[in-house]
Amino acid sequence: MSYWKEVINGGWSLVEGMRVTFRRLYRPVVTVQYPRQKVELSPAYRGHIEFVKFKETGTHKCVACGQCQRMCPSNLIKVQGIKERAKGRKVGTQYFIDFTRCSLCGLCVEVCPTKTLKFSREYELEGVSRWDGVIDLMARLGETRP
Amino acid sequence: MGNEVGSEWIRLIVGAVIALAFASLNALFLVWLERKVAGHIQLRPGPKEVGPFGLLQTIADALKLVGKELITPSAADKKLFVIAPVLIFMPVLVGFLVLPFAPELIIRDMNLGVLLIFAFSTFSVLAILAGGWSSNNKYALLGAIRSVAQNVAYEIPLLLTVMSVVLMVNSLRFSEIVQAQGHIWFIFLQPVAGLIYLISATAETNRAPFDIPEAESELVAGFHTEYSGMRFGLFFLAEYTNMFIVSAVATSLFFGGWHGPFGFDMKIPGIVWFMLKTYFLIFVIMWVRWTFPRIRFDQLMNFSWKFMIPVSLANLLVTAVVLKFI
Repeated sequence: MSYWKEVINGGWSLVEGMRVTFRRLYRPVVTVQYPRQKVELSPAYRGHIEFVKFKETGTHKCVACGQCQRMCPSNLIKVQGIKERAKGRKVGTQYFIDFTRCSLCGLCVEVCPTKTLKFSREYELEGVSRWDGVIDLMARLGETRP
Repeated sequence: MGNEVGSEWIRLIVGAVIALAFASLNALFLVWLERKVAGHIQLRPGPKEVGPFGLLQTIADALKLVGKELITPSAADKKLFVIAPVLIFMPVLVGFLVLPFAPELIIRDMNLGVLLIFAFSTFSVLAILAGGWSSNNKYALLGAIRSVAQNVAYEIPLLLTVMSVVLMVNSLRFSEIVQAQGHIWFIFLQPVAGLIYLISATAETNRAPFDIPEAESELVAGFHTEYSGMRFGLFFLAEYTNMFIVSAVATSLFFGGWHGPFGFDMKIPGIVWFMLKTYFLIFVIMWVRWTFPRIRFDQLMNFSWKFMIPVSLANLLVTAVVLKFI
């Protein structure tokens, strides 16, 4: 008799499966039509790094100390600064990263003494040449100095 | 007399043209429907870009197929290779000759209609074998061999269940079988036969979960691996037309053809009832495809020889005994 029991149980499991798929038929679609709709990013999303714009100064606080440049395991950060006044601080003037080699480890963000680096929320980074992966952080901030 | 013969010819030609046009349109629609059903079962929208609701997607695909080069492998058996897609599509069209769409809408109401449709559906096995063998490709050959074994195994329960219906009506004429279901559909009198018919029909049309002849995870694409362009398109067309025929036969044998349920026709023309039921059955076949995984080959054969054939034989026997003493 166990044979027929198996047949009935198996048959019922098939009906159960059909029920599951039928219910899915009228459930809302979960696909996001990407260029027209976009998913909300997770707060932990890491894009390439960018400068924090501080409210009180209206600009970044980069002092061109070069710690991020030295800390970077892929060696893809290039930062330069100048001393504007004799006894003043150094100020960062040029900051380039080669994002094509970045592994988003975040060591630069962690090591920054003035907390002026953060992860951007950029993810549409298509390009036609490898140089499109090079990002000018000063230009992104809207700050261009000679 | 001469006039009557002439009108019969006109009826045949008009019917054949309508059948051809309908078969192509039906296949276009069914491919779209299949993709939509598959999409929504997997919580995707399915095709939606080309035309309203993606309805023109299959037309675009068909145009692409027509535009493609017809490649014949150099090691192939060329004559068979070319003839196989035609061979698979032709018998499918014959089925439309005897399908009872409505009381007055049968191209030719033959007294052996049921036999004709099943005799010609066996042809598709031959075409698959020819296509698979002539491709000279091991995957194609394996697919063809599997298809033959499967079709031989599932034709027996299919015909046995049809036999039990034929026993009840005492006729092989489709219109008489449908007429006999005016008050109660045969699915209620023969539920086992109906179920077995649907299962074997799914296997006959090589649809999942019985699609091992074209199991893409093992055999690339099975018997049509080497086919390209519209030759592949013809195989595809034949599969979907076959689905329609199988469902239409199920409708007329078990689901009352052009009749409404329990004799309530509700002033709806017969053709509408017939199409509604046929497309519902097609939907069920698609629904099954996107629910169950493909079964293994030995399981497939076991299921047919050890379960379906004994059960359908017993069903036939019970039908005969009951009819004798009723």
